[in-house]
Amino acid sequence: MRKHEQEQWQSLDQYFGTPAFHQTLKDEFPEDAAEWLDPVTRRRFLQLSGASIALATAVGCNPSLKPMSEQKALQYVKKPEQITTGVPLFFASTITLGGFGLGILGKSYQGRPVKVEGNPSHPASLGSTDLYTQAATLGVYDPDRAKTCLNRNGTATWDKVKGTLTQIVDAQRAKRGAGLRIVTEAVTSPTFAGLMDELQKTLPEMKWIQYEACGLENATKGARLAFGKYVSTSYKLGEADVILSADADFLCSSPGGVRYTRDAMARRKVRITNDAKRRDGVAPDAMSRIYSVESMTSGVGAVADHRLPLKPTEIESLLREIAKELGIQGVPAAGPLPENAKAWVKPVAKDLASRSGKAVVVVGDHLSDTAHAVGHAINHKLGAVGKTVVYTDPVQVGMNGPNADRFADGAAALKVLTDEMKAGTVDALLLLGNVNPVYSAPADLDFAAAMKAMNEQKKPCFRLSSHEDETSLYCEWFINEAHQLEMWGDARAYDGTVSLQQPMIASIVDGKSTLEVLSALLLKPNNDLLAMVQATWQAHFTEKKLEGSFDDWWFKVVESGVIEGTTFPAITVGEPKLTDLPTTAPATVKDEIEIVFRPDPTIYDGRFANNGWLQEVPKPMTSLTWDNALIMSPATADKLQCGMTFNWFGGEANFGYRGGEHGNMISQIVEIKVEGRTVEAAVFILPGHADDCITFHLGYGRFPKGAVQAGEDGKGLGFNANLIRTSKARHVLGGLRIGSNLTKTGRKYHLGCVQGQVSMEGRRPARHGTVAEMTAAMTVVDHGNHKHYHMKGDSHAFDFANNPNSAAAEREILRTFLPGTPEERSRLAMQYGPKPEPGTHPEFAHIRDAGYVDNVAHGDDGEEHAREHKHAHDPRLINLTLIADHENNKLYRRWAMAIDLGACVGCTACVAACVAENNIPVIGKTEVTRGRIMHWIRIDRYFATPAEHGGTEKQDMVARWKSLADNTAAVESFVMPLPCQQCEKAPCEVVCPVAATVHSADGLNSMVYNRCVGTRYCANNCPYKVRRFNFLQYANYSTGTSLNLVNNPDVTVRTRGVMEKCTYCVQRIRNAEIEAERECDTPGRQMVRTPMGIRPLIYDGEIKTACQAACPAGAISFGDLNYDQYVPVVKQGEKYVDAGRHNGFSEVSRWKLEPTGYGVLADLNTMPRTSYLAAIKNPNPELAPPTAVKGSH
Amino acid sequence: MAQVLFAPDAPPEHTVYTDDEQLIGGEQNLVTIGEKIGNVCLGEITTPKGWWMCFLFGFTLLQGLVVAVAYLFYMGLGIWGLNSPVFWGLAIVNFVWWIGIGHAGTLISAILLLMHQKWRTSLNRFAEAMTIFAVMCAGIFPLIHMGRPWLAYWLFPFPNNFAMWPQFRSPLAWDVFAVSTYFTVSLLFWYVGLVPDFAYLRDHAKTRIQKLAYGFFALGWRGSAIHWRRYEKLYLLLAGIGTPLVFSVHTIVSFDFAVSIVPLWHATIFPPFFVAGAIFAGFAMVIWLAVPLRHFYGMTDLITMKHMELCGKVMLGTGLLVSYGYFCELWFAWYGQSEYEWGTTLQRIWYGPYAWAYWMLILTNTLIPQLLWHPYFRKSEFWLFTLAGSVHIGMWFERYVIVTTLSRDQLPSSWGRYQPTIWDYMTFLGTIGFFITMFFLFVRFLPMISITEMRELLPLKAGGRGGHAVMENAK
Repeated sequence: MRKHEQEQWQSLDQYFGTPAFHQTLKDEFPEDAAEWLDPVTRRRFLQLSGASIALATAVGCNPSLKPMSEQKALQYVKKPEQITTGVPLFFASTITLGGFGLGILGKSYQGRPVKVEGNPSHPASLGSTDLYTQAATLGVYDPDRAKTCLNRNGTATWDKVKGTLTQIVDAQRAKRGAGLRIVTEAVTSPTFAGLMDELQKTLPEMKWIQYEACGLENATKGARLAFGKYVSTSYKLGEADVILSADADFLCSSPGGVRYTRDAMARRKVRITNDAKRRDGVAPDAMSRIYSVESMTSGVGAVADHRLPLKPTEIESLLREIAKELGIQGVPAAGPLPENAKAWVKPVAKDLASRSGKAVVVVGDHLSDTAHAVGHAINHKLGAVGKTVVYTDPVQVGMNGPNADRFADGAAALKVLTDEMKAGTVDALLLLGNVNPVYSAPADLDFAAAMKAMNEQKKPCFRLSSHEDETSLYCEWFINEAHQLEMWGDARAYDGTVSLQQPMIASIVDGKSTLEVLSALLLKPNNDLLAMVQATWQAHFTEKKLEGSFDDWWFKVVESGVIEGTTFPAITVGEPKLTDLPTTAPATVKDEIEIVFRPDPTIYDGRFANNGWLQEVPKPMTSLTWDNALIMSPATADKLQCGMTFNWFGGEANFGYRGGEHGNMISQIVEIKVEGRTVEAAVFILPGHADDCITFHLGYGRFPKGAVQAGEDGKGLGFNANLIRTSKARHVLGGLRIGSNLTKTGRKYHLGCVQGQVSMEGRRPARHGTVAEMTAAMTVVDHGNHKHYHMKGDSHAFDFANNPNSAAAEREILRTFLPGTPEERSRLAMQYGPKPEPGTHPEFAHIRDAGYVDNVAHGDDGEEHAREHKHAHDPRLINLTLIADHENNKLYRRWAMAIDLGACVGCTACVAACVAENNIPVIGKTEVTRGRIMHWIRIDRYFATPAEHGGTEKQDMVARWKSLADNTAAVESFVMPLPCQQCEKAPCEVVCPVAATVHSADGLNSMVYNRCVGTRYCANNCPYKVRRFNFLQYANYSTGTSLNLVNNPDVTVRTRGVMEKCTYCVQRIRNAEIEAERECDTPGRQMVRTPMGIRPLIYDGEIKTACQAACPAGAISFGDLNYDQYVPVVKQGEKYVDAGRHNGFSEVSRWKLEPTGYGVLADLNTMPRTSYLAAIKNPNPELAPPTAVKGSH
Repeated sequence: MAQVLFAPDAPPEHTVYTDDEQLIGGEQNLVTIGEKIGNVCLGEITTPKGWWMCFLFGFTLLQGLVVAVAYLFYMGLGIWGLNSPVFWGLAIVNFVWWIGIGHAGTLISAILLLMHQKWRTSLNRFAEAMTIFAVMCAGIFPLIHMGRPWLAYWLFPFPNNFAMWPQFRSPLAWDVFAVSTYFTVSLLFWYVGLVPDFAYLRDHAKTRIQKLAYGFFALGWRGSAIHWRRYEKLYLLLAGIGTPLVFSVHTIVSFDFAVSIVPLWHATIFPPFFVAGAIFAGFAMVIWLAVPLRHFYGMTDLITMKHMELCGKVMLGTGLLVSYGYFCELWFAWYGQSEYEWGTTLQRIWYGPYAWAYWMLILTNTLIPQLLWHPYFRKSEFWLFTLAGSVHIGMWFERYVIVTTLSRDQLPSSWGRYQPTIWDYMTFLGTIGFFITMFFLFVRFLPMISITEMRELLPLKAGGRGGHAVMENAK
């Protein structure tokens, strides 16, 4: 027996312990993969995503934040409370936009926030988010963030800044603060308000200005016009039977947008087997009706039953006409309206009036204050107040104080400020937070000149900002700002509810918040943010005489994130007065172009310009990335001679650019000249946009500071709309003439637009029909307090939900192979289920019935609708997998997704959520224009003209262009989210030569990155084209950047040359499975009898995919199609006995059982697990739809 | 022929004969043929200027291939014009194009041998060389078009610790077997045919290097009866093995498309259609290669206009088959009543961005080759060369049209475009350079026409056998 074990070496390097050997140990990919990484591309990528090596140093200062790859992986000697390596923690916090808070749950791995979900207990979120919020985590790790305090004339530290501030305050005391000005964004934070009050008391003549580039000032002023005081308006859209949206893109981009979308879309999910308790949508007769009058084709327009494109002035005129029609006294005169708008007035007014108390008008934030006042008057007339419209005290701070007017109109206040700055009466100026007036102030103020004047007068300017930007260039002092996920704070939601901000990570740049600056101005010795916030709420706790100890209360508040009882109560505002309204009619002039300035759908007012995720998310309806443009209708483009040109080869028509191109659009540059100001911008042609009207999004054309917003040529992305945006024309710039104001330059510009083709070409991937068609195909059984719907005859599907005409003959068969449909269930039952006993109904017939009735509709009348069935298990599942070990295979679930097109508003929050969850790389504009966008879920959007019968006819390109140009008002738009369809018979799988894409036993079409050699055959063979390929090294493998910290550790970072695609967030599924197995036989986990034995149940809704969780509309459902096959069991001794009947249907099953369900390209027999519900529209029969052509679906 | 196969009273070497079938021109005997062909390899004649021009041209292009592939491996596939709907681009176009070109060689050497076509004899050697180099060019593409080419060996079935086989349902896995088998058999066939010629060269070699090199490859050939017997059996066997490969390889390559569900790829007509196209293209290339040989080396006596005309006839015949294929594609798309097939057809032929390429293909592959009906064009070297050029362009566009079909598939939302980049073209031209380089090296150092078989082709009274011994013995 050997006493001494010889040491073994693999190489001499190991023996000598050379550095090379240690490097090999450290390298995750020691050969090949790493060597092929390309420094050029990587550097390009780093620029794109805003990387810089300097940050590595900054990060290095904070030892806990070194990139994981640079950290020594050591076990915790003492495990910190709560932290388990690899297990995320969720913290309730708040992200604000324009001051208004959205409650979130931040997911954090070892102190590293990687993903944001909505906070279900927050009223503005209800568990969902918008896309800005989804991209917040990238903002934390943006390497271009300002890392230190700066002084233009020397060095700066925070202490130095504080010292200077102290001197200024000391000096100002004598002047009662008369020389001090503070500019912030709109603020709702009670703690901030408290500190500001305190400061105002010390320095009573100090002036505070709240300025938002895209603010609510028109809405606010409109409410004051109507009610004589400032109030906040919020809507209860779930209560509204009829909604008239006057250019209000409330579904995506207003303070309550997420909540409004949830509420409004709940009434658009039409279900035959609706079950209110399950929030499963509404019966066909309870569907709401939405009218959308809009200038730019929007998500609201896409879901609306009637859509009317009008110029902003015409929209106001239409509102006035409707008000008049409703009999409201004192409505000022309307301007001229086009015929189709005139045709709207009577039917819409009638429809609104007929739903008294259940109708609402929502006016867009950018419309004039008069329009808002008229909107209030209409809502009052409709009896909506207190029902669908709620007035509260203003949510924005200071709006019921003495300086309310200044806060209400930030632009006006800025004008006063610039005058003062130039006059030299301002001694010190503080610009705090997301306010960048040099870039975003009205062009006529020339804020930069005012700042220069300050500099010349040697008056200090202070700037607190996350990035060095246009304004900070003129500021002597720069303070780097903490990210919202890095600090304590609080904010109010659109309805006044307060939620807390808590830090999820110590500021990686040691940034400061506005609260800290205020506290410095107050000369407080302690800058502890938590103490400041706690002090506010200690006072609240005491004032409200809440029970228990403050610490207990505080703990609960931090845990839930939301402070109960802070929602503003509704107030009575009285009857709106229209007497103060200007009597002039809106100045609509024929052939004059109006430009509408709107916040950009992805980068807002420019504050997210350096966020690569948001830059690359295609903007709703336009599908543009990385740029803004002059968005106009085909007819307007024709007038500008930027319209269609005919490309001789291939007979391909252009939309002024190469229309069929995927990713690359070549467009014309147009110059706009107004009052001596000029701007050049590229044209983007959007079918359905109002004619003679241009939408120009803000936020682009920024001073190229920061690698992302600099663009790839370093000149800055997009075009600066602020250059022609003046105090007079903050939101709408009218009176422009083609030729004198707008001229084509003849130069070309490449836009990254990810969908070139706008027509469905008769293939109807996105299907739709009307309630009338639906009810005609059904018989209704009325039980008094509830109704049942049955399809007439043998059919289970509506005609419009069936496949294209070419496949119409096989439609029954097709649904038989669409997972989850009643037909498929009956097929499985026949094939695999228990054989029918003689004399009874064949089993499949029961299950066919079950498709609608069983377990779903429980009447309150005591009638028992549910029957017990033996549910068939689908044994094919086992055969789908390559896993040999069938015996112990616990994967008996059948994951599936359903998407309700009726509810989808195309807001793209799902895309952003998917990017954040799945480490999807940013590839940059050049790669986008090459058609290589990487998003795993995309929003397809289609337009149809009446001549095309809703997209069912093939048309010549020239004819299509003409039809789109001539019938702007009749253009219908459709949006359709498309993730991987997870086909059961996946075309991608059979063609992969190395089995890199295979089925798991639970039916997931898995992608094995490690096995992929990149032949790309799978992507060619995917009819949905949802597979994405890493043509270059897109993912960032560099260890020197903070960007890697944003990666979700549960998801592989893909290397160059491999295919990737949606996995239904398989990491979430597997986590839930592990969790369930771990909790096996614990009281909290229900055990069920499954075809594979007794297993723990994963509850319906326990797993939410990232897109589903983010979706404000609740348009996505995910779950287990076999859920209803499990029988709950309880343990008695060593045995399990059945404890009740089968589970009910899972939500996704219920959706799929609906007769509106269909599978995209199901005629290819791909058996997609993801299916869609056709959009049901509820048009007003009295308002002839512009597309009233037979077969218009 | 009811004559003895070996004439003991063979006429003296100075006797010359001309061939009445016009397969050999001029006055030839065993010696003239041996010297005509062998002296090129042995450096007995000065290397023609044309050779240098072609070789240097090819060698220059080859450098482009080296650069393009190096940069490709360094950067990734993104340097090509590939994108989301069109995941396959020029690489696959070129792969199929080259594989197709290779086919004529095997057809000439194997099938025509079995069919007792004497006219194959002048063409088979360089046509086989063409096959081998074309397959080498083709073989480059599947390798470099992979996202992670360093893992290409995963496509081969070999025992490994992943316990993974290739996925045998994928046509790409079949491709690996088809192409590698094809290459192996073609190479063997070529080499076996070369052995007696190597012996001739060894025996006539002037330098030590020539002696060593040719002697090594001659495998100790002494021309004994048992050598001839075994040689002929092996040659016949290889012809038998090679014959099905002519059909299998391009059939399987066509499965790369036909097995998918992409509209207009998903077609049962593809296998015969592709095979016909391959022979079509292959004969066009034979014409292209024969012309410089005839001119640079004065091989007009051995590769006669009769040969050229026969190649033209084969082109005409296979061209008609290919055109029938084009018609069938349209017919099935219309008759099949599939929304996508017909929609994509309309895009392909009229509405789509690549309709010009389709009509280019119809023009060059269907219309222009119809000139071959007239003997004037078949008997003019210039016209044959021009028409073969047209076929090269047409066959390339055929594959281009097929691959760009991807730009307009089922879902209109993902429709897009494909535009090759400079790197795509550099790689393509680079393989042409590789082909030219290899071919002209072959011409210089190996007998471009089979000495043995040409001698056998001589009439019996001229010391030949009036045909190919393998053919005749196989009767």
